[in-house]
Amino acid sequence: MSKLGRHRASGGEQTDIDMVPVMNMFLVLIPFLLMSVSFFHIKAINTSVPVLSQSQDGADKPISEKVTAIVEIEPNGFHVSAISDSVAYDELDKWDARVARKDQAEYPLDQLVAQLTRLKLRYPASDTLIIIPDGTVIYDTIIQAMDVARYHNNDALFPNVVLSGKVG
Amino acid sequence: MAFGKLKKHTKDFVPPKLQITSMMDMFTIILIFLLFSFSNKPETMSLHKDMKLPESTADLDYRENINLVLSQTSLELGGKVIGTVKDGTIIGLDPKNLKTSTLYERLRSTRESTDKLAGDSNTKRHILFLCDKRLPFKTINCVVKAAAMAGYPNFQFGVLKK
Repeated sequence: MSKLGRHRASGGEQTDIDMVPVMNMFLVLIPFLLMSVSFFHIKAINTSVPVLSQSQDGADKPISEKVTAIVEIEPNGFHVSAISDSVAYDELDKWDARVARKDQAEYPLDQLVAQLTRLKLRYPASDTLIIIPDGTVIYDTIIQAMDVARYHNNDALFPNVVLSGKVG
Repeated sequence: MAFGKLKKHTKDFVPPKLQITSMMDMFTIILIFLLFSFSNKPETMSLHKDMKLPESTADLDYRENINLVLSQTSLELGGKVIGTVKDGTIIGLDPKNLKTSTLYERLRSTRESTDKLAGDSNTKRHILFLCDKRLPFKTINCVVKAAAMAGYPNFQFGVLKK
């Protein structure tokens, strides 16, 4: 018989590990961690404001047709348009559209997405959007518009967002 | 006799052994969960009780930046109150003369000191901007403009994850 077997056979008493100190430690640690844990997950949206810069005429010629989408958030809806250095004005004028808000209800974000998706499909290299809200438009509406304009169904529409005030 | 019975019963009483193994298991799981929820946060920040951040589908973590908080009652820069908000107007932030504001002055001095330390003025600087979702754009625009003029044109808008 092996030594271990003999020890078991001789009726070696089973000893319980004293878990009380470990429990005490847990009881101190858990309230401490619960106090400092955050239940809100703050995320970020990268945005910039327009700044003056020196023009780079002829420095880098556009490889593909690229437009910058403009969304003006007005009290009565959205005004979508596009500007570009590489696309003719007549062509850009076709993209000028108004998405009306009916009876002060919520802003028609789905119609805004539809218009921006069409623009993106026509000019796939485009990635910049300028949002120009009216002074009375609340911040929540601006963020909602940014959300739908940046990504739709996990596809990038216009991920680079520039926030600008109205001039004049 | 009734008392005699009670005496006998007390004598036989064996204190029950507390089974703490299951409780230990539970505590271990809670502890691991809490430690994990700690690990992926750049820093903790405190927000006003009356502050309501907008919700967004954005999934980008914020960086360690200069914190600019605009609530319905105050404007804070790096945790210090630098202005009060009344009826959507920031006291001490004149939209026509932003360069005289405390916000502009403080941000400009911060930028100059960080530029000196870094030795490069072209590094991309960000401001983490936390703003109450009920504020109108005319209020926000003053703050954003003043920050851009002070050399911080790039922002990270803080939002709550949907």
